[in-house]
Formats: sequence, structure tokens, C-alpha cells
Amino acid sequence: MAKGFFTDTTLCIGCKACEVACKQWNQLPAEEYEFSAKSYDNTMQLSGTTWRHVKFIERTTAEDGVPASRWLMMSDVCKHCTHAGCLEACPTGAIIRNEFDDVYVQPDVCNGCGYCVPSCPFGVIDMVAQAAVPSVGPAAGDRDCGSLASGGVEGDESVLQRPSGIAAKCTLCYDRQNIAMTPACAKACPTESIQFGDVDDLKARAKERVTELRTRGVKGYLYGVDETTSVGDLNAFFLLTEPSEAYNLPAKPVLPSTHQPAGYAAAAAAAAVLALAGIAIFWVAPSGPGAA
Amino acid sequence: MKPVSPDESMRGAAAGGDLTAAHQSYFGQPVLKRPHWDWKVVAYLFIGGIMGGSGILAALADGSRDKADRTLARSSRYLSLSLAAISPVMLIAHLGRPERFHHMLRIFKLKSVMSMGVWGLLLFSNVALVNAAHQLAEDGKAPRAFRALPRAAVGLMQAGLGAFMAGYTGVLLSATAIPLWAKGKRHIPAISVCSSVASACAANAIVLALVGGPARTISKLERLEFVAACAEAVLLLHFRRHAGESGEAMFSGHLGQSLRNFTLIGGLALPMAHNGMAFAPLRPTQHGLRTILVSALTLMGGYVFRYVLIEAGKASADDPQLALRPPQ
Ligand code: SF4
Ligand code: SF4
Repeated sequence: MAKGFFTDTTLCIGCKACEVACKQWNQLPAEEYEFSAKSYDNTMQLSGTTWRHVKFIERTTAEDGVPASRWLMMSDVCKHCTHAGCLEACPTGAIIRNEFDDVYVQPDVCNGCGYCVPSCPFGVIDMVAQAAVPSVGPAAGDRDCGSLASGGVEGDESVLQRPSGIAAKCTLCYDRQNIAMTPACAKACPTESIQFGDVDDLKARAKERVTELRTRGVKGYLYGVDETTSVGDLNAFFLLTEPSEAYNLPAKPVLPSTHQPAGYAAAAAAAAVLALAGIAIFWVAPSGPGAA
Repeated sequence: MKPVSPDESMRGAAAGGDLTAAHQSYFGQPVLKRPHWDWKVVAYLFIGGIMGGSGILAALADGSRDKADRTLARSSRYLSLSLAAISPVMLIAHLGRPERFHHMLRIFKLKSVMSMGVWGLLLFSNVALVNAAHQLAEDGKAPRAFRALPRAAVGLMQAGLGAFMAGYTGVLLSATAIPLWAKGKRHIPAISVCSSVASACAANAIVLALVGGPARTISKLERLEFVAACAEAVLLLHFRRHAGESGEAMFSGHLGQSLRNFTLIGGLALPMAHNGMAFAPLRPTQHGLRTILVSALTLMGGYVFRYVLIEAGKASADDPQLALRPPQ
């Protein structure tokens, strides 16, 4: 049965517990310190080493002429798409759909070709650079199942050994799911803004929540449920209260592989035209100067 | 429970929701991630193009009744094989984990253009090897037994696979979410094929000029190069209009300048002005140095086109507005 996340942004208080819990459980190194000067957010985006990211969206409105500001907080994550661009693009078969119907990157199979990265319409998956892995401890290559490993080297708990040079993203805590545990982010969330469970149950619950919000005058909608786009529904879907662009989410995402037929056809047409020109020039036309 | 239909007016600015300009993205943060591809990928696209184009030329020269074209058959077969030896090096070098290159050979995946390309390259190299062995035997440098190979069939295979190698890289780019590449889903693959064939003509013309090959064959190469360059120029200019905002990074700024100077003018217009003369009926000239210079211009144009394409693609990934409204 498909397992996923329902992230209800109306409940998020921006505490970043999910971000921290994810880093801890998956042994992901901190991002470099950088002051973004944009809201209470210096991480700014998901990356190969940040698999949950809380966006702090600042909105200013004028209520009765008095400027008011409010926050939209949203914990972003890999969407675990029904039709996943990253999975389709992967030439090694490293990216699979696991038994929980989630999109999982096998760290010991990926060879770092990088094709999944531009193939995700949400800009989620990214490469883990060599530099992101501390050089202490056994070489990263010796321990390929980093995200599944449970701890650092004996006696040196601080050493992180993520495999490097490969693509990485949220695993939907595949390892925890395997032992019937709730993913770390959902477990840590104090407001149940992140809920984990059977996708069908979550969808039903989410629809109820939308109705409830409306009776209270809050206009919300579900992003990633009953979608008609080529990407389809999202196993990690969201309840949003503003147009999706405010959250940096495309209103109508496109599955990149849908461009292939047109591309192959155009290439074949060009090749056919040039082949005919070549035949005319080499085989048919008089051979030019000094022809025998 | 009453099912809730999503309120379409809420869905997004593209679907009619209202958004003030300042709030149309998350602090202007990119929506997409840039591919990590650098010059090694540019070189791979370039080399693969000449390699594939030479495969097509080999079949054209081999099928020609003109004895003079035998030199081209030889040069294109050898060139094709040599480049088939270099391109996997570029491909492997760009991987984050080069020692795991063979993981691409675990599966055959029609949906993944990268997978199809790897298998295409593998097949092409083998066919190029067989064809080159045949040529070696013909040249008396390998056992005569190789001459028994089914030359026409193998030649045709090499041409077909060569066309694939020349074009698939364009499909590979356009089958991504990168706004510039997605917008060029028809243009980029077609331009790749044209540019590859033009570059292959140029590369082989250089070889022929260096070994003192027949002027007649060089003339034919110049004509085919002219046709390919014409098509490439028309498609590029059409793409500029078609791409609109998505094409800004490619057609304006410093990348646009490089594309104009080194590809459109230096790599297409100048060689075309020269190669167009090859259509004149009787032109008893000695090519030599001029052929080499003009061909080098074409090769430069082909390389710069691919460089600009990759770099402008990365730049277009940084614009959240383009990514939030992908071409459907
Ligand atoms: S959101 Fe991106 S990385 Fe996640 S499953 Fe979909 S395509 Fe893959
Ligand atoms: S980088 Fe790894 S996971 Fe991504 S497409 Fe390449 S092999 Fe697959």
C-alpha cells in the first residue's frame, strides 16, 4: 500500500524540528553557513544534504489601510511523484519505486551521471559533492549504504560518512518504514503539520481538513491530489492557502519525458533531409571539377 | 463526507489566481536544480556529433561510384573509430563515480535517453570497429579475411547509428525540466543533427586536405556542409524567435554574444560563403590551407554552440518564473 506524507501548511509553526530530525536520522551534514538576508531562512532550498526544508514566506497585506504581515510556513520535501521525472531519467536503475510506492535512490548503484537532477520538475534531487563528505574515517566508497547505516565509526560519533559524488534526496525514511517506524520528520513535528500514513487515508483526511478550513473562512486547497498533469498525484502532497507559485511550486508541472517523441521525430526528420542531400551530392550529381 | 473539488482559482497565477509581482516566487529562489555538467559534457556532445556524422559520411562515400570518394571512405571510417575511443572517456570522466560506469550497462531503459545513448554508443563503437577492420584489410594492413565482412549492411548500420548519435544528445537535453532545453524540444535535436553533420564534413575535409586527398571529394564535402550549415542557421534563428523569454540566456548577454560571433557568423556564415562556391560547376582550384582554415571555423562554431547550449540551460534553470510556468 502506498505510503506518503500529507503536509498541512496551515499547521506549520516554522520550528524546523523536521529539518533537524531528518539531518540527525539520515546523518546529513550541515549546509555551509551563509546569511541569506531573506526571512528566517538561511538554508533556502532542498539539496542533496537537506531533505526537508522549511520555507518562511512573508506576506504583507493592507487590512483597512493598516499594513499587516503574516507568515506562510511550509515544510518542503521530495514529492514522491506518481510519474517521477528523476526515476524515468536514471540510466543505471539506481532510482526505484520501492514496496511502499515511494521513489528511492539506491546509493550503491548511482554512478553520479547527474541526469536525474535537471529531470525533476520540482528541483528536489541534487548531487552530493565530494567536498560535502569529511575526509576522516573510512573512505566513503567503503560504506555505500550511508543513509541506511546506523552510526558513525566506533568511538568517533561525530564523523559522518555519506557517500559522495552521487545524487541524493528524501528516502521517505525507507529504513524506518522497513521496521514499521514513522519517518523522522513526521515523528518530530509537534503540530502534526506533517502526517505520515497510507496515501489514500491521508487524502481523505486532507479533504476533510480543507472542508473544515473553509467553514472557518480559510481558503485552502490540496496540491498533488486529483491532479491532471503528466506528473500525476504526489505521494507527498500539500495543503496550501496561496497560489502554488508563492511556495515555488509550478501550478502545472510537466513530466520531462513527454518531450521525447517530438525530440526524436525532429532529429529523425533532420537526419533524413541531410541523408537525401548527401545522396544527391555524392551519388547522383555530376562529380564537379575533373569528373571522369 | 462531501468531496471537496479543488478550487481552480486558487491553483496558481497560471490558472488565474492573483499574485502580486513581488510574491510570484519564494524570494526569487531558483525552482530547479542546475545539472553539474561541465566542459567534459560539452566535449562529449561535440565529439559524439563528429563521430556520428562520420558514420553517415562513411556510408555515403562507400556507396558512391566515384573512385575519388574512396579516400573519404577511409578517412571517415578511421575518424569515426578514433572518436568512438575518445567519447566514452569524456562520458566516464563526467560521472560523480567514474568507477561505477558499468552500472549503466545493468539495464536497457527506453524511457531514459541517457540509457539509450550509452547503448547507442556501445553499438556504434562495435560497428565502427568492424567497418574500420574492413578498411584496414582493404588497405592491406590487416588480414584479408576481414574483407569477407558484409560491408554494405555494416555500413548502413553505422550510418543509422551515426544519425542516432548525432541527434540523441539533443533529445537528452530537451527531455528535462530545464526551461531553455524543454522549450527547444524540436529545435535542439534537429540543430544537433545538422551541426554534427557539418562538423563531420569539416573534420573529414581537414583530414583529406592534410593527406592531399582528391579536390573533387573535398568539393562534395563542402557542398554537404553548406546544406547542413544552412539548415542549422535557419533552425537557430527560428529557435531564437520561438524560445522568447526562455531563450534569453542563450541569445543575449555574453553567451548570446559568443553564439553570434563564433557560431552564427564565424562558424556558419563565413564557411557558408566559402563552401557555397563548391556548387559552381567547373572550379579547378587547389584547396589545401584554405580548406583547413574554413573547416576549423566550422568546428569552432559547433563547439561553441554546444558550450552555449549547456551554459545557457544552466542559467535558465535559475529563473523561477520560467520554471513555474513550464511549456505544456
Ligand atoms: S519530486 Fe523530483 S526527486 Fe522527488 S520523486 Fe518527483 S521527480 Fe523525483
Ligand atoms: S545521478 Fe545516479 S540516480 Fe541520478 S540519474 Fe544518474 S545514476 Fe541515476
